[in-house]
Amino acid sequence: MNRKNFFTSIFGAGALIATPVFGMKGEKYDQPSLIPPYLKEGDTIGITCPAGNITLKEIQPAMEQLESWGYKVRIGNTVGKKDFTFGGTDSECDSDFQQMLDDPSIKAILCARGGYGSIRILDELDFNSFRKNPKWIIGFSDITFIHCHVNRNFGIASIHSKMCNSFPTDWSEAEPIQVESILSIKKALSGEAMKYSVVADVSNRSGTATGILVGGNLKTIETLAGTKSDLLTPGKILFVEDTGEYLYSIDRMFWNLKRTGKLDKLAALVVGGFKIKPDDPGEEFGKTIEEIVWEKVKDYNYPVCFGFPVGHQKENFALKHGVPHRLEINSTGVELHEQ
Amino acid sequence: MVKTPPFLQPGDIIGIVCPAGYMNIEKAQTCIDTLQQWGYGVRLGKTLGSDSQNYFSGTDEERLADFQQMLDDDEIKAILCARGGYGVGRIIDSIDFKKFKKNPKWIIGYSDITILHAHIFSNYDIASLHSPMASAFNDGGNENEFILSLKNALEGQKIKYQCAPHEFNRRGEAIGELVGGNLSLLTNLTSTSSDIKTKGKILFVEDVGEYLYNIDRMFYHLKRAGKMHRLAGLIVGGFTDNKDTERPFGETAYEIIRDIVKEFKYPVCFGFPVSHEKENYALKVGVGYKLKVSKTKVTLEE
Repeated sequence: MNRKNFFTSIFGAGALIATPVFGMKGEKYDQPSLIPPYLKEGDTIGITCPAGNITLKEIQPAMEQLESWGYKVRIGNTVGKKDFTFGGTDSECDSDFQQMLDDPSIKAILCARGGYGSIRILDELDFNSFRKNPKWIIGFSDITFIHCHVNRNFGIASIHSKMCNSFPTDWSEAEPIQVESILSIKKALSGEAMKYSVVADVSNRSGTATGILVGGNLKTIETLAGTKSDLLTPGKILFVEDTGEYLYSIDRMFWNLKRTGKLDKLAALVVGGFKIKPDDPGEEFGKTIEEIVWEKVKDYNYPVCFGFPVGHQKENFALKHGVPHRLEINSTGVELHEQ
Repeated sequence: MVKTPPFLQPGDIIGIVCPAGYMNIEKAQTCIDTLQQWGYGVRLGKTLGSDSQNYFSGTDEERLADFQQMLDDDEIKAILCARGGYGVGRIIDSIDFKKFKKNPKWIIGYSDITILHAHIFSNYDIASLHSPMASAFNDGGNENEFILSLKNALEGQKIKYQCAPHEFNRRGEAIGELVGGNLSLLTNLTSTSSDIKTKGKILFVEDVGEYLYNIDRMFYHLKRAGKMHRLAGLIVGGFTDNKDTERPFGETAYEIIRDIVKEFKYPVCFGFPVSHEKENYALKVGVGYKLKVSKTKVTLEE
């Protein structure tokens, strides 16, 4: 194969974007960013449950919406299945996801919901076909396992966004912010460059940064420490969010980020929503999220913003994980633009 | 070879500090009295019964200074952490272990204190004592075998622990240095400078008040970080006050652990008396032990 053909074949699979390469502690080097093909009208999106269970009825609003956007929907075998909290046994979840990964007619995989379970099948999945023909994997929360794994190992971009269980059943009744969050998934899938403007937060640290956007659920990122799915963060814009955790536990997770060196060489830090579990009486932690974060990043100079609309909340906008972005934080607001 | 701090002699002084959560002196009084009855002197750190108004026993600086002083004071032969909670991880990188390295002393506690055990063994190859803390002395606890196991350990007695068999146990014999402690903290330390190496070691784990799915997730973490593969043996302590989600997880904590280790061959015992309950034997982290899991019983001896 000559050089020209080589590049053609890569661009055929998706656009290869050159980005700085960083290594950490002599470990495996960072992967360049590889963007799966964007979706066209008539393309098929598969819906599957790698984590928690969901009924066919619960995914109806999402199906209708995806179809109204001009996509076809393939319903995975795990939808409607239930093995306690999971959307099937490990082998059912694994084979459903595997089938979606391997089927060339499926152009994107939308995880029906989070919950817990992706880590149980992650090492069983065969990504060989997916590596050759990347497709969009969509979801957040527990799906952070998959985002981080495909980013770290293959450099393949994915979409961090709401899932089937967040599509409003009645669009006419839905709040504008919820509609906007859902519509951002369509924008991401169809190849629009993502652009977000957010109001300034008094705790922000101003500055401008460019880098590949990575991150997701903080607890999940901690759970990946020291594993082959662990994020490499030097030069990256890292975003984090979490829900249902005590403040002390959030503090402990940020210490994990700091003590594993993940905060040392960031391009920027984006703090999303943190739905906090209230302290037990007499066990008041006494520090806010902003204080917890500031303690960990005060020694660095990179920009930091708080309250970014990503997390377990209505304003949870689609973010292209593993794609270069530019973040600008100043006294008037925050701009996050895909590059 | 692990360095074992000198065992205590009558008249030696034990310092009591709170490197994490707050505790008032009244709650530690029986502990203080009992240590004195055992023939030791007791020095109280400023963080025990401090005037802190929040969760912690003092600011990071106060907790660090108190611990550091006990660490550096030659007269103090052992440091008993009065309670765990949360907070050691906030000061661990600021503690200066230079003097301690030259003159090791016993550091005693469990739960959040797991960080100190892991950090000290991984970085300095010094043994420490995973054991009950101050409140375990209360309500008659000071006379039970678990508190007495702390006394025996401090005196340098080599004790053989024994416990009942469990249906999930996997029989066999293992010899190795003992490492472990609280599961949440062992996972939190992964990839940090305090992380433990588990190859060829006997690992012990316990936890309290965790969601079952989270126990599963933490074991997957350890497994994916390569910490479960080459163990000499596994000791599963108490997993108490577990919580479950609205959609039930469908397995007990012990079933979760049984599934995680089913692909390995090393001996495993369940229900070993190391826990957040009364059943909590003193264990020397870093010291070589022999674990024997048989049909009728489990023994653990130095």
